[in-house]
Amino acid sequence: MTDDAIVRIRGLTTVLNGKTIFDSLDLDIPRGKVTAIMGPSGTGKTTLLKHITGQMRGDAGSVELDGLNVPELSREKLFELRERIGYLFQNSALLTDFDVFENVAFPLRQHTKLPEELIRNIVLNKLQAVGLRGAARLMPTELSGGMARRVALARAIVFDPALILYDEPFVGLDPIALNQVLLLIRTLNETLGITSVLVAHELAAVQKVADHVYLIANGKVVAQGDPATLANDGSPWTAQFFGGEADGPVPFQYPAGDYASALGFPGGKA
Amino acid sequence: MSSRNDNVVVRSLAQIGACGLFLITILAAIPRSFRHGRETVRQIWFVGAMSLTIVMTCGLFVGMVLGLQLYDVLSIFGGTSATGTVVAIAIYRELGPVVTALLFAGRAGTSVTAEIGLMRATDQLDAMEMMAVDPIAYVAAPRFLAGVVALPLLGLVFCAMGVFGGHLVGVTWLGIDNGTFWSNMTATVDIHKDIVNGVLLKSFAFGIVVSLIAVFQGYTTPPTSEGVAYATTRTVVASSIAILALDFVLTSFLI
Ligand SMILES: Nc1ncnc2c1ncn2[C@@H]1O[C@H](COP(=O)(O)OP(=O)(O)OP(=O)(O)O)[C@@H](O)[C@H]1O
Ligand SMILES: [Mg+2]
Repeated sequence: MTDDAIVRIRGLTTVLNGKTIFDSLDLDIPRGKVTAIMGPSGTGKTTLLKHITGQMRGDAGSVELDGLNVPELSREKLFELRERIGYLFQNSALLTDFDVFENVAFPLRQHTKLPEELIRNIVLNKLQAVGLRGAARLMPTELSGGMARRVALARAIVFDPALILYDEPFVGLDPIALNQVLLLIRTLNETLGITSVLVAHELAAVQKVADHVYLIANGKVVAQGDPATLANDGSPWTAQFFGGEADGPVPFQYPAGDYASALGFPGGKA
Repeated sequence: MSSRNDNVVVRSLAQIGACGLFLITILAAIPRSFRHGRETVRQIWFVGAMSLTIVMTCGLFVGMVLGLQLYDVLSIFGGTSATGTVVAIAIYRELGPVVTALLFAGRAGTSVTAEIGLMRATDQLDAMEMMAVDPIAYVAAPRFLAGVVALPLLGLVFCAMGVFGGHLVGVTWLGIDNGTFWSNMTATVDIHKDIVNGVLLKSFAFGIVVSLIAVFQGYTTPPTSEGVAYATTRTVVASSIAILALDFVLTSFLI
């Protein structure tokens, strides 16, 4: 079993500012597959990715990546590990000092001594894949939101890492770019065997690209399975989440006191 | 760090302690930052070139004002021929290093704080961590080193402009004899005491302090526009206090 899960999370519990984000969460990411993580805004999907890469640590439980317990790794070991991980930030996080080309080339320049010619070929190849080869000399401030996401995507995959984590890769993409990115994720997975984890809200897109879906709410996995059938599996969680209902087990409101008393109406529960 | 403590003294002490730890982190990262040597050179060029105009202009005016004031006072005792000497000593020992450091904090220090603060606010530092690039070695250390290298050089430029300004007023305008101006100055100014200890050593110490404060404030700023604005202000305030206090301490040892 160990070999087919690249990430193995057991009993992960995390409390941030008194709010329980994860409550003994168990989750496996299968190797060589595309796994989607879905859930309401603010459940901790980004936080989960940050636990997998060691940017954050839980209060209890274990996060194993390739057999290594991530929270216990030294900084050096963590950096070694990260050289094999691609990460797409939710807000792109391009380096504003550099143009598009240098942003994508940055990881190569930092970790390899490849000749300029080869770096150029790799970078242009990745930019071509996201449709932005022509934008190579633009600065990040000259990009639209969707373009910035695609540059960040090209940067995340420039090393052909073993594992890529995408935090909302489809946000701000037009239908054509969306299809290209879907195709790209699929191709990377099928031709290079790259394991992908993607956080996304778009069910249709997830159904096209993912092999497995986790639905997270209230700090736990509340449903999981095949993306094609998950929405109709009959559980109240999936019925509400994919149906977009406000009422049901998935909380839409951030935990708060009684609304009526917050507005100052008499008779509200204190 | 997140514990709310409203006592200004306790908070300042905590900041100074954190700043000291940060200095150790940066010093430890300096060997690794040599891999990014190009980045350090770029930063030296950047902060140096950025501050050069203001340092030259201010140096000139400070020298001119000193020339005027001293000529005025010294003429009471019939000692105007000492104008050059006193201008030079005042500038080399005190005004040169101190005013240059204050200008540097306002011009380069604030921009370093704002730059790093914005990198923090836009997740660029986190992105580097995720690409296995240590932002202390890649961002903080080069900017720190740049300030430490640039400030003594700028201090020398300030002093040269100051003496030139004193010469302009004393000799060109008020008519002190050119030969007297220079020979009195060169006879009294001591290379070791006034230039090495005065300008260079003080500037070096100020360079460490100002760069450390600027980088620290940027690196630890809350990731909001308000946070970056406050951090920038704090760089100027903390640097100014630190420069003047340290100047007193250094002077009492050097004199
Ligand atoms: N640094 C932090 N300190 C305290 N709380 C945090 C911090 N970061 C995130 N949180 C809290 O953790 C929860 C999960 O945040 P996270 O960003 O992981 O949500 P998300 O599932 O990615 O949401 P979205 O779909 O909107 O991106 C939120 O309730 C947020 O308030
Ligand atoms: Mg998120």
